[in-house]
Amino acid sequence: MDGRSLLLLALLAWPCTGWSVEGDPVTSVMWNYHHARLLDGAPFVFDEQVRVLLPPFAEDARQVPILVDASAYRGQVVRILAWAELNPIAQIFDFAPGAEVLPRLAIRIRIEQATPIRAAVLTRDGIWHVGSSYIDAAGGGCTAPSVVRAEAGWEERLGQVLGKRFALADSSRLRVQIAHPMDNGLVGGIPEFYLNQAELRDGNGKVLATLELFPSVSENPTLSLEVQGEGETELWLRDNNGNEFKAAL
Amino acid sequence: MRWILVLALLGCALVARADFDYGLQPRQIADGVWLLEGSTDNFAQNNGGNIVNSGFIVTAQGVLVIDSGPSKRYGEALRRAIATVTDKPVLTLWLTHHHPDHVLGNQAFADVPIAALAATTALLAEQGEAMAENMYRLVGDWMRGTEVVLPTQTLSPGLLDVAGRRLRLLGLRGHTGADLAILDETSGVLFAGDLLFYQRALTTPGTPGLDVWLRDLEQLQALPWKQIVPGHGPVASSAAPFTQMRDYLGWLDSVMREGAAQGAEMSELIGVAIPPRFAAVSLSRYELIRSVSHLYPRYEQAQMERVDR
Repeated sequence: MDGRSLLLLALLAWPCTGWSVEGDPVTSVMWNYHHARLLDGAPFVFDEQVRVLLPPFAEDARQVPILVDASAYRGQVVRILAWAELNPIAQIFDFAPGAEVLPRLAIRIRIEQATPIRAAVLTRDGIWHVGSSYIDAAGGGCTAPSVVRAEAGWEERLGQVLGKRFALADSSRLRVQIAHPMDNGLVGGIPEFYLNQAELRDGNGKVLATLELFPSVSENPTLSLEVQGEGETELWLRDNNGNEFKAAL
Repeated sequence: MRWILVLALLGCALVARADFDYGLQPRQIADGVWLLEGSTDNFAQNNGGNIVNSGFIVTAQGVLVIDSGPSKRYGEALRRAIATVTDKPVLTLWLTHHHPDHVLGNQAFADVPIAALAATTALLAEQGEAMAENMYRLVGDWMRGTEVVLPTQTLSPGLLDVAGRRLRLLGLRGHTGADLAILDETSGVLFAGDLLFYQRALTTPGTPGLDVWLRDLEQLQALPWKQIVPGHGPVASSAAPFTQMRDYLGWLDSVMREGAAQGAEMSELIGVAIPPRFAAVSLSRYELIRSVSHLYPRYEQAQMERVDR
């Protein structure tokens, strides 16, 4: 093989390797960007123990269920960030579970195209443990017309919460669905209007976990948290227009 | 250098060789009744979307076609296939429901009346473009030139005489909300559309509910059929497809009902074990993932109550 052939082969191979990072379990051109922007370039490891459970493809790109589970690092978790790498609005949530709340969160999101999904778990030693998964999609979930706004009387239902507490072996699972359009500003003529803050509190108002949400979260957000003990909890929510909502579980 | 060029040219030649031939072979299953049986696979580049059963009935005056297939190319191939077994003209095309694999060959039948239930036409008008777009994504160039063509006539449930052949039409809802089943009373062949899947996992986008679907199956099974043509899967002359469908729908329902009662997440449910008795059912995992997305929110909500204050 002469020099020109080698060069040609190298050029052919180049688009396949592109910007991906060694050890990355998913092929991504965006890791470096998000690492710098969301994790401030801090030390990290790709870590299979941070589980990102999702379907292999998005049947409904407006409601993609994801489950981030960092139970392997229970007791050591400071923060969990999640993002959809190729979304126009990449960030999904920023979750800080306190001692009584498990480092595990299920939520539904919108995706605009097939994309890697990441969950970065900051442990007390200052290392980000990054779990990764990939989802295929026909896409369009972020720019699809609002389903909520097409329903008559949605304003009256704003902030209504459906929920239930499920007893598990050594914890309780709190599952809720909050009526909210979660407008992400990408649909013509409708500005951003979404739930951006949540706290889980105990019966005395003590904060058990804080959660920041981003408008990649689906309309009528479905959330699931796990908390230790039997005590009553309250979920507090606020949207970017200042509306506050509360639910007891 | 030269060998690379040769390889590249070979590669191009291989791509160009694919001539998008569906290889449709009409098979006679009863007097005047013909079937074109698709595979039980998923839409893919290598099958051009031919995963569906279409058929036609040759009457004294002409041909009644049932479903037009997944693409313009399929529709045209279907026309040619019909011409290989009869000289009679095509009289009309009936659509069992609005899903892309059953209606995107309509262009090849633009010269005859295309008929469907009124609600099927409405659903196709609403969802057709998006479904066609997704088909391009899934099967690629097989779809070239394919466009949505809406029905030009409305079918109503009841008895209908087509050129001396008595056909019983049922307007049901279980699969898409508008599902036509056709019983050819002369031959006893029941074209069940996608109300029946056999050896292939059923699909649930648009179903009004598994309970509705189960009631439809009762109604279908009670008809005086001799042979059953499911929308997907092999033809049967026993009630086996009904038994399998009922079993499968019941299992799907219980997975989601029990899951919701225990607070399971969608991401957990899509991984549940599929019972060994469904081992022969193609694509059960894939369709479970889809069905959980379509239906689980209803089961979840049935478990929850208002907790805001």
